[in-house]
Amino acid sequence: MEIAGIFKYLYELLAGSGLSQTWVDIIALVAAAVMVFGVLALIALFLVWWERKVSGHIQQRFGPMMTGWHGWRQTVADAVKLLQKEDITPSAVDRPVFYWAPIICFVAAFAAYVTIPFGKELIVSDLNIGILFIIAITTFTIISLLMAGWGSNNKYALLGGMRSAAQVVSYEVPMVVSVLAVVLFAGSLSMVDIVESQAKIYQWYIFRLPFGPIAFIIYIIAATAETNRTPFDIPEAEQELVAGFNIEYSGMKFAMFFLAEFVNMFTVSAIGTTLFLGGWQGPLLPSWIWFFIKTLALVFVFMLFRWTYPRLRVDQLMEFSWKFLLPVAFANLILAGWMKYSGWFNW
Amino acid sequence: MDRDELTKHLTELFPDKIELLETGKIEPFFLLKNKDDLVAFCKAINKDEKLDIDYLCCLGGVDTGERFEVVYNVASMKKRIRFDFKLSFKYDGAEVDSVQEIWPAANWYEREMWELYGINIRNHGNLKRFLLPDDWDQGYPMLKNWDAPDFKRMPEVE
Amino acid sequence: MTEPGLNTEEFQVNMGPHHPSTHGVCRFILTMDGEEIVEAEPVIGYLHRALEKICENRTYQQCIPVLDRFEYCTSMSCNEAFALAAEKLGGLEVPERAEYLRVIMLELNRIASHLIWFGTTSLDLGAITPFLYGFREREDILDLFEMTCGQRLTYNYIRVGGVAKDIPPEFIPKCKQFLDTFDAKVDDYEKVLTENPIFIARNKDVGVMSAELAIAYGVSGPSLRASGVRYDIRKDDPYSIYDRFKFNIPVTFNGDCYDRYLIRIAEMRESAKIVRQALEQLPEGEIAGKSTMNYKPPAGEVYSRIENSRGEMGVYIQSPGKVKKPLRVKLRGGSYNQLEVMPELVKGHKIADVVAIMASLDIILPEVDR
Repeated sequence: MEIAGIFKYLYELLAGSGLSQTWVDIIALVAAAVMVFGVLALIALFLVWWERKVSGHIQQRFGPMMTGWHGWRQTVADAVKLLQKEDITPSAVDRPVFYWAPIICFVAAFAAYVTIPFGKELIVSDLNIGILFIIAITTFTIISLLMAGWGSNNKYALLGGMRSAAQVVSYEVPMVVSVLAVVLFAGSLSMVDIVESQAKIYQWYIFRLPFGPIAFIIYIIAATAETNRTPFDIPEAEQELVAGFNIEYSGMKFAMFFLAEFVNMFTVSAIGTTLFLGGWQGPLLPSWIWFFIKTLALVFVFMLFRWTYPRLRVDQLMEFSWKFLLPVAFANLILAGWMKYSGWFNW
Repeated sequence: MDRDELTKHLTELFPDKIELLETGKIEPFFLLKNKDDLVAFCKAINKDEKLDIDYLCCLGGVDTGERFEVVYNVASMKKRIRFDFKLSFKYDGAEVDSVQEIWPAANWYEREMWELYGINIRNHGNLKRFLLPDDWDQGYPMLKNWDAPDFKRMPEVE
Repeated sequence: MTEPGLNTEEFQVNMGPHHPSTHGVCRFILTMDGEEIVEAEPVIGYLHRALEKICENRTYQQCIPVLDRFEYCTSMSCNEAFALAAEKLGGLEVPERAEYLRVIMLELNRIASHLIWFGTTSLDLGAITPFLYGFREREDILDLFEMTCGQRLTYNYIRVGGVAKDIPPEFIPKCKQFLDTFDAKVDDYEKVLTENPIFIARNKDVGVMSAELAIAYGVSGPSLRASGVRYDIRKDDPYSIYDRFKFNIPVTFNGDCYDRYLIRIAEMRESAKIVRQALEQLPEGEIAGKSTMNYKPPAGEVYSRIENSRGEMGVYIQSPGKVKKPLRVKLRGGSYNQLEVMPELVKGHKIADVVAIMASLDIILPEVDR
């Protein structure tokens, strides 16, 4: 059941209703933004519940069970509780910086969804610099981490914020280089073009040996670090520095950081699906269902990492990124370039 | 080494300075008669080839009601020897030398003994508050005649 | 670290006392140069309950539940150390069945304590799942204890002269069932952590303790055996009936956190062996000697020590003679010395390593503060 047709029909209705073109565009864009926001909010709620269930079952316990069937209403209950919490702002914080940090984090997390294809023709705007735009926008979260660390006026928050920023910046580079390998092969930065160049299952970039799997593995590792998840979750390591950059946040501001983390996880999984696993393509089921299945599979992989591995120390983390991942990613890029140029691998 | 050999060896090393106690019948327990001989004694049992005491198990103070005692429990890892010895002295001028150059483990034990009993430790270097709160001003708690307003004694059991 | 002409300052970071990774309430004042630790000073005393002073005011049997709280993770060992010392004072004979029951309970308690250590070590390093696996096994052991003496954590079971109650008939089949599956479970734990490169990178060559340092500071137990010194009080200064069982003493030679981990995992398996042998050899008989409610040992003093899961646990009792209450009870726990040696081990490491080192030394604060 393809829902792109519904949106096309609604747009036709709007265009034919007599308003000027600019008004039609504005209303259409606002409606699209609200819809995407709504879908993402639901996805974030679902992911929080799913993480608790997955972690529970890995640890041989059940997770939430009381609020609704297998605890599906737990996240709703937690959100309501967080809304009611007192918004404590310590007196010594740097006010504008402190207030704007969670907002910037939240906006950066959501703004990336302008060019993520949820299914066939289900994309807000197919920019021809798609993947570049997403990477640039998600980099805004670094600014928000630094702002949170600085604005809290707290030694631990500052240390946590700086470490987090260092980590995200370090792992951004191998991630971009591994994505470049795919872009090189696809020949275009546009997300829709990349998906359509993987029309058959043997054309999926994850299966294009030898550069595909390597690029995929580098991407998965770097994406885990980008979203501050174990084994790279030093900034949030409660056991070491009593919760890094978000110590001083409570109530709704804390909820924004928290939700932004889950939305980020979904973003990197969506990018991974689009670039490596063939996007929305698949037989029988509608395209958006395939997209969700593949993305949630990648999210599940991230969750497995979190609940299995211990965490790395800060210097080991940096060493791993700069001394190992980056050279491998560059070598992979050269390999991809040679493969494309030689023309033998263009099946 | 059993108890008799140990007693013989120690009395050879330190004639007139050490004696086996009555209580030494359960396990070897010696009394070092003069507390000024402490450091020399400890150094000697540490360096002695037959004894080779390199491990200090425990160091504690005792208030018998009339005198102070400091009990040292020592052992040798390689020679599988274990014995105890103690010093006994009066309340006035209660002072002992520190043995931390021989067994660094003694540092914390002596600090605790100073804090709870009031026995001064010479050459220690770090006699600061340890187990008790920083603003403690109610004396030395482990003494037998120590009392405090909220210190309750258990009723006698038949 | 510092370039010539660049002015740097050392700063102090306070870790604790309320901290998720100090096992108990312990405060560290760390003097740091950048990310490296120059000096660490532990500040203790937050958990001081004056157990020694309390014991001077209790009869010998009343001391046993008080000393349960001395080290609550291995409460049976605390009971045993005190009971051994008190029995030596009075020359009491403990019946055979009671000795075997004591050994079974002590070794099961050692396994339970090592499972706590295992869970909290991996939790401190970020792997949350093994914590729950360890505690799942520990639930079986705690069920066995509850069956026997009604308590899960502080048992008051090993009394002066014997044990408090006999085991119910369901104990032996349930214990055997636990032991049959336990080795496979330890293999599972090893699969999660032992070969994990992240775990190895966090633990290898971190907090290296040489044998001389360990002996000089009075470190004992698994931390000492990880530094290459083969000393276990159960074999080298035997007490109770440990000379009747066949078990090995694991020793490794590097003295870093990873070795201490390996030794404790191996010790869990050895303890399971001992319990199996004890269950087979368990004789019939009575479980407590003559009535010891009004135990009045003759005058004397004795220091007796046992091998606890954290090292040597020693109790010194001085009795004035034919009196119900001891004159002096001095307690010695393994964690005291290990906390004393920690400032030497963390020099030059980073904050994250303080957590790893403290977890691998298996320090718990009630033993330090008493």
